[in-house]
Amino acid sequence: MTVALVLLTLLVGAWLLAVIEAWLTTGRLRPVAPLLAGLSHLGRESILARKPDRLFFETAPVLLLVVAVLGAAVLPLAPDLVIADLATGALFLNAVLAYVLVSLIMAGWGPNGAYAMVGGWRFLGQLIAYSMLIVMPITATAMRAESLLNSAIVESQAGLWNIVYQPLGFVLFFIAAIALAFRSPFDLPTAPGELAGGVDAEYTGVRLAVLRLARLVMVITLSAATTVFFLGGWQGPLLPPWAWSLIKTLAVAVSMLLVGFYLPRIREADLLGWCWKLGIPLALLNILIVGLLILVVP
Amino acid sequence: MVVQAFFVGVFGLAAIGFGVAVFRTASMVRSALALLFSQAAVGCMFLAMQAEFLGVLQIMMMATEMSIMAIFMVMFMMDPGGLGGMDMSHQKRFSIGAGAIAAATAISVALFSDWGPIVAEAPDAAMQTRELGFEMLGRSMLVFETAAITILTAMIAATAVAIPVRQPGVDTGKLDKGNGDKEQEASK
Amino acid sequence: MSEAATTLAGARKGRPSILRRWVGQALARNLSCLVVPGPEVALAHGLDLAAADMRIAATPRDATVLLIVGELSQKLDEATAVLYAQMPRPRAILVLGGSAPSSLPQADVSADLSQTELMEAATRLQRLLAEDAFAASPDDFDSSILQAKTEYVCPMHPEVVEDEPGSCPKCGMDLVAREAGGDSDAGEHDHDHDHEHEHHGHEHDHDHEHESEEHDHHHAHHNDHGQSHEHHHDHEHHQNHKRAHDHEQHQGDDDHEHAHCHEHEDHGHQQSTAQEQSGTEYICPMHPEIRQNEPGSCPKCGMDLEPHKPEEDEGVREGVPEHDHEHHHDHSGHDHDGHDHSDHDHDSSGFMSMVEVTKDLPRSADGLAMDWLEVPFGPCFPGLPGGLKLTLTLDGDGVTEGQATSLVAMNTSSEEVAVETFIERLAAAMPLAPVSYRLLACRAIEQAAGLEPDPAVERGRAAALERERIASHLGWLAQLGRQLSFVWLTRRAAALQLETQRADREQLVALRPALQSLIARLEHTPLLKARLKGIGALPHGSQDLRGPVARASGRTEDARQADAMYRELGFEMRAESAGDAWARLRQRHVEIMTSLDLVEVAGDPELPKLRAIDNPSGTGEATVETPRGRATLRLTQERGQVVSVELDSACSQHIGLVADLVEGQELGDALVAVGSLDLSPWEVTS
Repeated sequence: MTVALVLLTLLVGAWLLAVIEAWLTTGRLRPVAPLLAGLSHLGRESILARKPDRLFFETAPVLLLVVAVLGAAVLPLAPDLVIADLATGALFLNAVLAYVLVSLIMAGWGPNGAYAMVGGWRFLGQLIAYSMLIVMPITATAMRAESLLNSAIVESQAGLWNIVYQPLGFVLFFIAAIALAFRSPFDLPTAPGELAGGVDAEYTGVRLAVLRLARLVMVITLSAATTVFFLGGWQGPLLPPWAWSLIKTLAVAVSMLLVGFYLPRIREADLLGWCWKLGIPLALLNILIVGLLILVVP
Repeated sequence: MVVQAFFVGVFGLAAIGFGVAVFRTASMVRSALALLFSQAAVGCMFLAMQAEFLGVLQIMMMATEMSIMAIFMVMFMMDPGGLGGMDMSHQKRFSIGAGAIAAATAISVALFSDWGPIVAEAPDAAMQTRELGFEMLGRSMLVFETAAITILTAMIAATAVAIPVRQPGVDTGKLDKGNGDKEQEASK
Repeated sequence: MSEAATTLAGARKGRPSILRRWVGQALARNLSCLVVPGPEVALAHGLDLAAADMRIAATPRDATVLLIVGELSQKLDEATAVLYAQMPRPRAILVLGGSAPSSLPQADVSADLSQTELMEAATRLQRLLAEDAFAASPDDFDSSILQAKTEYVCPMHPEVVEDEPGSCPKCGMDLVAREAGGDSDAGEHDHDHDHEHEHHGHEHDHDHEHESEEHDHHHAHHNDHGQSHEHHHDHEHHQNHKRAHDHEQHQGDDDHEHAHCHEHEDHGHQQSTAQEQSGTEYICPMHPEIRQNEPGSCPKCGMDLEPHKPEEDEGVREGVPEHDHEHHHDHSGHDHDGHDHSDHDHDSSGFMSMVEVTKDLPRSADGLAMDWLEVPFGPCFPGLPGGLKLTLTLDGDGVTEGQATSLVAMNTSSEEVAVETFIERLAAAMPLAPVSYRLLACRAIEQAAGLEPDPAVERGRAAALERERIASHLGWLAQLGRQLSFVWLTRRAAALQLETQRADREQLVALRPALQSLIARLEHTPLLKARLKGIGALPHGSQDLRGPVARASGRTEDARQADAMYRELGFEMRAESAGDAWARLRQRHVEIMTSLDLVEVAGDPELPKLRAIDNPSGTGEATVETPRGRATLRLTQERGQVVSVELDSACSQHIGLVADLVEGQELGDALVAVGSLDLSPWEVTS
């Protein structure tokens, strides 16, 4: 039951995101368009590039989808609405998200195409930039909760949400989450104007449909994670807990889309430089501040 | 208990299977990712043995590490795709010897160590994490700090060695920019 | 309809099931098109694809409709066929204005170049797709252009390219098949354009299976050892040469190495005796110094050792052809120069030394030796102007070298045409700046006829030219947005461009606040400045700069300064100085506002029309500051016929800058640098 509800949430979220994304790019609000797009992918020819690494080519989209769903499995949408509230939930999320990289390397290497390959390896550089900014802010939230249980992290924010308690961590995590979901302005692996789709470039038909779905689900998962770690999760007045989770998650997801809509793609060298020279010191500072707050403020 | 033992066995075999795949392929990327999945299977063994934190940590660390290894293979090897059908194994005799000795050592350690009394119930995952934390920041702190500093020193030294010596009067304007990126990659 | 059904190329045979009908309808309501030559050309023609419910696809893989805008040059036509072949079925062709391309199947729908026609055509296309997406009898698309030539390259030495399978003369590794690129001018996905098709079910169509078989055959070429037996022979030959040479020059060295290599082998001493007796030894194809008396693999690189008889050494040595001799001399020189002592020490431990393996490979800017990959970008690449083909040699994602060519270059050596026709043709040949070239042609012809400029006419013409400049710069901004996935910019700039194109003075003045806010916003967009600053820098002294590109480098170069009409309108030239992509963006911002001021003073824009001329013979020369820079047209006319033409345009000069701009840059920066030049491949003269 819980599993079905979480999956349904992910799918509805992905659909809503697709509608909004199309609205932003074309200026038309067409609720059925994502469904039609999905359906038309089913009927299209699936082309296999010449001399591919077939195993990687086939695995990559599925792995990405599995990773996105597994990540969502440890995030509580309501006190009892979580597939697995692991004792190492926060760490597990990190572990799962590391496999986004593995999937993209496979998708880049698999089809034996230059654009895809450059895109896949670019994401490795991107990971080196963002990964610390995912891990360190989560660490700070776990410090406050004194637990790696995601539900405990939510409960620790009962008095004050982490977005107020540690705003620096929230900003860094939000940016890093967009980079992890490789959405504009961090869409270096796909980069339509530079790599003609990059890792997406050689996928067609059902595989492309899975890949696109996985990318949308990934955004929802990361938004849900932002909600759990920084926005007080299911907490809120009047509405039932699940509704708050849903509202907050979608708000974060839409703001991720909007950031991409109004910004040009970042330079890869700038991304690495800024993350290492600015982001990581700030993330360490955030941990320090949170540590002091925990010790000083009872 | 039986279920646990079964899964430990399954993941153990998977780890060995992927380990074999590392040498059975000609493609560098496949080889690196096979090693990744072999290590991830070891992580799953930890999970099956109820060592949740260690298992998740192992699964997390390996993804990044092996991917970085894959890109270094692709960067430096002359035929990373394995189109020429290169054999991954070399120094066979030495490797077989070393492997046999290592296996014998591991088995004898497993058999002849005094593992203490069997614990009826493993502490729950949260407790394990807590105890692991106290262990690492208490008794073992010196060991870990020493190891960390050593690794950091090695990384900085390796990067320093990798930077080409600049000769006065030679224009290396373009070189500088490229090296900056690579250093960052290497220092990871 | 039956004709259309065949070319619509339904994915597979069989009667349309309910599911297929649904899919067809879904496809019809979800048109994504690959625009040839490019979305910026569609925009310049005033087409609003979004209004016709069409999405622009970044790759042929993602497209349902191949949308062809205007006439295609022969080269672009062929490139388009390759793109079409890459589109997954069901797929359709929509041709707007212009004849159907010769390399492609017949168009499913064709219409004229206008928004209303486009809307109508889109509806027809939707109906067609909904009904016939899975036609009963699809024809396969095949064309001679798609026949790829296979060539064989060494995985280690990219410079070794052979027509036949075999082994590398330098290192002896088996050559690997790849598709020949370069001269065929194929499309953006050159490297994989005749892919194997994988079908879902049992509904294969025959041609396809055939195609797949052909590919398997290709595979066989380099996989099947039996087949390449002959080449192995060759290969040994080469090895022998090398061995021979080593022996000759470095006898002592060699022996020393022997000792080293086998130090850790059990058979170290056995080897020499065995060698004397049986005479067969095994050497590594890559490391000639590795030899042992039994089969195995190389301790350095792990390759299988090749059997080989030492006596052959002597025999071959005598017959070494002169050029080969020299060739190998180079190579063996490497093996034995001073630096290698460290390598040898290294090798003795049995580890594969990457330093040694890669030391002969060419180095790129970052000092790493990696495989170099020649990748085509264009002629229909989403981030570059359509018709421009950029060939970049990539080393990782750094560009080692690059070169731009235009597939739609204008051919000025045309036959005699009537002056009126000439004007129309010139304007039509330049889809990104038709008004400027119409004006240029009119002026040149009038000048040849000896007409003095008429201020009243010139005023309207200047306004039209400035209006086109605004639209063109907006089009460039939209293109920049596409290149950088800056969706807001793409939408806003494209919408403004469509509004500007046919606006009169009043409408243009009304657009001023919108333009101002667009510009103000861009100047303060986070990341944009960091993205453009310092990219594609052209120093002040660079030769051959014109137009906004020159002015962004601080050069006071503007043909409008010499124009009496512009002086009257109060034209004042403003220039940036940094000379990078960011300066070019700001320069274009400034020019948009300057042009708007000019239009406001000059009055309603009027399309240039040829004034009545009484003397239809003579030679004339005219210069116009087109949106991309000064263009000069020299023409001779006789009795109302244009007989010779000479065009000197900004883009012909700028396209030559590309090679220097991209060299040593990261891929993204290289593309931004090329984009910032605002090249119009049509304005390149061949």
